[in-house]
Amino acid sequence: MIPTKTWILLISAFLLLSVAAGLILYLGPAPGTVANIYRDGVPVRSVDLSLVTEPYEFTLTDERGSNVIRVEPGRISVAEADCPDGICVKTGWISDSAAPIVCLPHRLVIRIEQTAAAESGPVPDTVSR
Amino acid sequence: METVKRLHFHKPTPSGWLSAALASLLLLTGCGARDGEGKTEEPRTRTVFAMDTVMDLTVYGGSEDLMREAEALILTLESELSVTAPASEIFAVNGAGEGSVGPDTAEVLSAALELSERTEGKLDCTVYPVLRAWGFTTGDYRIPSEEELDALLPLVDWRRVSLGDGRVTLGPGQMLDLGAVAKGYTGDRLLALFREAGVTSALVNLGGNVQALGTKPDCSLWRVAVADPLGNGYAGVLETADRAVITSGGYERYFERDGRIYRHILDPDTGIPADNGLISVTIVGERGVVCDGLSTALFVMGEEGAADFWRDSDDFGMILLTEDGRILLTEGLETSFTPAGDWTDAPLTVIGRESGRGGAP
Repeated sequence: MIPTKTWILLISAFLLLSVAAGLILYLGPAPGTVANIYRDGVPVRSVDLSLVTEPYEFTLTDERGSNVIRVEPGRISVAEADCPDGICVKTGWISDSAAPIVCLPHRLVIRIEQTAAAESGPVPDTVSR
Repeated sequence: METVKRLHFHKPTPSGWLSAALASLLLLTGCGARDGEGKTEEPRTRTVFAMDTVMDLTVYGGSEDLMREAEALILTLESELSVTAPASEIFAVNGAGEGSVGPDTAEVLSAALELSERTEGKLDCTVYPVLRAWGFTTGDYRIPSEEELDALLPLVDWRRVSLGDGRVTLGPGQMLDLGAVAKGYTGDRLLALFREAGVTSALVNLGGNVQALGTKPDCSLWRVAVADPLGNGYAGVLETADRAVITSGGYERYFERDGRIYRHILDPDTGIPADNGLISVTIVGERGVVCDGLSTALFVMGEEGAADFWRDSDDFGMILLTEDGRILLTEGLETSFTPAGDWTDAPLTVIGRESGRGGAP
């Protein structure tokens, strides 16, 4: 007969594994992780972070100022900004939906979500002119 | 099965399953099922410099011979239809006032004359002497005097051109220019050549005149952008299949004098460049030669004239861009045209079959 202690150990181990597996599934970088960038609440650009292989930067500018966005595989950050508080830069990298990057002075929000919010659309096949 | 597996859904959402179901349906229709692997073969492409412009041909499933035939066809048509090449049939007719022409020239001229009648002369293939006076044919731009225009305008009258049994006769002093329809006709001939060779997917861009045969090989629609007449990008993208998408803008050939812009599209009634608030007219239809001619004629007609003309027709749709930044498109195109770039938030009006008639509120 198997001792009760062994049962308890087995069941605890099983529970721990389940919780760990659940956490990995819940928090891990899901395929199709998209960074959606909103200005005044309107999606302006979507970056599929799971497709990024080489780091790159781009700049979003409007009359309030500029934010330089840096993209790396699986994560995104604001590298530079000319906003007065610089909070968006200090936020650093985000790679999950836990918290967005917010640049309040420029009304800019970067949020990690499941699907692209900005309809960028593929490149056209040709141009009629 | 293979195709459905290839889509590889990470998380089968309801829309994911729907896509899978649609993908298997497409297999049943035979569209895109040319090779069992579901892979798209590389197209054959050709760039041809002809008719004063660049022509790009993209053909899926054609042979090298077919591409050579297509290139030869373009060069033949150019040599027959050119208004400036001394060896062309048109050049000969313009010099002598009459002459025999081959079946190609006869067909293009007859299409041009039909369109002149249909548009009440807003497209006129005899406007060439006036066009020349403005320098649009050579690039030596000038503004002709009123007396000069008054002397030339009587020559502009398509009704005095007669065509029968391969013989063309012009009125005294008249000159023909088939430039407004020649590229559209060439596109029609190219697509017919490809179709006869069994091709089901091809896209040609003849100096900005786009004509599509079928869909893309993977069954998706061609994405044809409409150039932004005020910028470098495009004003929007039209998703389409089996259609000609032909734009007239006059923003590529124009000159500026004393702060006024003179575009190369002349109103045949006045001999003066059309200036009515339209900056781009895109015609979408089945026949390239018709779309080509209409894009010019409707550019001359202006917003309201073009809308009325469209209501009396059933063989095309259109996208109009105005100087004051508005987009107008005809019923049916609103689901396939997506504004882009600087035109993303432009006010958009859908022209309906009935609206604007009888002043209903």
